Amino acid sequence: MKISVWNVIHQEFHNRRRAIFNVLWYGLQLGLFVYGWWSQATNQRLAPLNTLRFSVWSSRGAGLVLALDGGMILLPMLRNIIRVLRPKLAFLMPMDENVWFHRQVAYSMAFWTMVHTTAHYVNFFNVERTQLRPQLALQIHYEQAGGITGHFMLLCMILMYSTAHHKIRTQCFEAFWYTHHLAFFFIVALYTHATGCFVRDSAKPDYTSFFPYYSTDHCLGYESWRFIIWPGILYFGERVYREIRGRQPTTLERVLVHPSGAMEFRIQKPSFKYMAGQWLFIQIPDVSAFQWHPFTITSAPEDPYVSIHIRQVGDWTQAVGERVGAGPSVMASLTKTAMAGIEKVNDDLGRGDFVEVNSSNWGTLPLVRIDGPYGGPTEDVFNVEVAVLIGAGIGVTPFASILKHIWYRQRKGNLGSLRRVEFIWIVRDAPSFGWFQSLLSEVEAAQTDPNFLRMSVYLTSKLDESTLWNIAVNDPGADFDPMTLLRSRTLYGRPDWKSIYSHLRTAIELEQYLPGRESSLKTSVGTFFCGPSSLAKIVRRQALATTTETIEFTFAKEHF
Amino acid sequence: MGRFIWHDWARFVAISASVYLIWAAIWGILYRKFFFDFIDHTYTSGTPPLPAKCPVQAILEFIVRVPVVQVVAMIMGFVTLAFEYPAPFLKGTFMQRNFTFKTVFLVFQAMTSVLFYQGTNAFLWSLIAAVGYTRAVMLGEVMSLEESQDKITTAWAGAALTAQP
Repeated sequence: MKISVWNVIHQEFHNRRRAIFNVLWYGLQLGLFVYGWWSQATNQRLAPLNTLRFSVWSSRGAGLVLALDGGMILLPMLRNIIRVLRPKLAFLMPMDENVWFHRQVAYSMAFWTMVHTTAHYVNFFNVERTQLRPQLALQIHYEQAGGITGHFMLLCMILMYSTAHHKIRTQCFEAFWYTHHLAFFFIVALYTHATGCFVRDSAKPDYTSFFPYYSTDHCLGYESWRFIIWPGILYFGERVYREIRGRQPTTLERVLVHPSGAMEFRIQKPSFKYMAGQWLFIQIPDVSAFQWHPFTITSAPEDPYVSIHIRQVGDWTQAVGERVGAGPSVMASLTKTAMAGIEKVNDDLGRGDFVEVNSSNWGTLPLVRIDGPYGGPTEDVFNVEVAVLIGAGIGVTPFASILKHIWYRQRKGNLGSLRRVEFIWIVRDAPSFGWFQSLLSEVEAAQTDPNFLRMSVYLTSKLDESTLWNIAVNDPGADFDPMTLLRSRTLYGRPDWKSIYSHLRTAIELEQYLPGRESSLKTSVGTFFCGPSSLAKIVRRQALATTTETIEFTFAKEHF
Repeated sequence: MGRFIWHDWARFVAISASVYLIWAAIWGILYRKFFFDFIDHTYTSGTPPLPAKCPVQAILEFIVRVPVVQVVAMIMGFVTLAFEYPAPFLKGTFMQRNFTFKTVFLVFQAMTSVLFYQGTNAFLWSLIAAVGYTRAVMLGEVMSLEESQDKITTAWAGAALTAQP
């Protein structure tokens, strides 16, 4: 898609919420810039500095906006506070989009840094040229607190921004993760940026021997650190809290190796409370003492343990596999067996069972720490009548927990307004998600009401000849689908979202789908999506376009 | 998790450094100043007057009187952008794909940047990018032809080819 001005305007303002955000956020920054400019330009005590004219006015304006950005950049990273506030503020803002907001602040920060730095280069040049102060430009740049911290922050920024790029972050998460901790030094530099007392009405900086080591009688900066230090303190506190919470008693109870190549960790942590659809950070000190890795929780809150499924796809996950005695070679042979299982005629449910890693054979299981939970719980599924759950690729993992949770609540007869569930799973190669298939077949087998849960599996990979024969031979008349071993039939190719949603709408309108539906009342159909954002946009558009007067379609993207 | 691909990272740093450099050079033309004039305290534009035997008189001619250095630096910034982004006519050429060339060019860019007052951060960032490319050369990373053709969209084509130990 070509980026045109019109497209950008349309994207930023077609949605009312987005438009309000843009007006508030950019309006606030522009307003602060104007105020900073004005308060400098009209301050009689700073008359000598004002002989520098535009450069000093814009540096002061941009400096004030940067103070705001420096305060805001940490707010979306207060994960625990966000988790608590999320349900209370859901009406006001989408707090799942915290990382998106973090990036918006960073982009703003880069822009205003450009303005601020450029202006200061001109300021110091002119200070030296006119000898407004008996100093060289480079002395202000490299001998005074403002200059030193400023240049240091620029260095931190290039390292942090470049390693945070989507491409680098997906290639090597550690590079991003470790480099981003420069933020600590960056933020300390930010709070001390004005201690050099550059903005003053005296010839010499008015330093004092006590905190904050300069006198506000003559140092006339904005004192913005007094406001923006609080998010920093909160963030620091949160990190300390996470560290303490991560050290609560935790035991890795069992490690199960699924034939498809996934390891299931069942963990006991009594202090860990979570809801379906959330995720956690796990640390295994034996493998890496500092790294925390995010994983989706695959157990339901009703389960007596916390489980995650780990596929050995990277350095860290492979090292974990080696540590628990299920390294790549073990997995490879198991996976081969599992793949061979496809060829077999379906005798029973599932593709052979999981294998438990026996701790007596492999030494003791490693110490693990888990931190969390994070992310939005999917309790919202119980507020709609029809829930359309869409998982694409690896994005299917949160639905393991959600489907189990729905199943537990179904058993207890506590489904809220939920009447039907449509589960759509788009996957390239189903065998690699064998553990998920066995879970699905358990949930499917447990259904008493045949209409409650409908699963559609879309297989998007090309099929080889032998697989086609397998389907041709085994599919007709069999109880189970040959590819997924589910009762639901596998569909091949990509889903046609338009027809899916319009069929759903028509079925609801004809009252076949939800018998006894009050046509006078609004029926709500909620889509819960987890997967790549490019697909999310398409599904979202189709879902929202299907809304009629009596049927409301909503869309939510899960984050993990 | 994955492997850190140095040339992918160095590319981002080089692009940032060059954009900064072009911007800095514009301001360098407007406010001309030799970076190293602090050594003998010769002030900008000759105020206060330069000592009679300024050891760097020649370079001042090319920075303060005529902003040659700034213009050259700006052109180098555009050249780096052209082979890094890359410009369509440079896709797949050695300028885009040869990391040794890039390292050398970035070092020259850094040396030019450091001469004028506004160029110090561009100098530092260009050097960081050069270090990144040096590391890429040391590790034997290569940019495949496919990767060079579609530099902006494919994040993984290069990763797959270069991740072989």
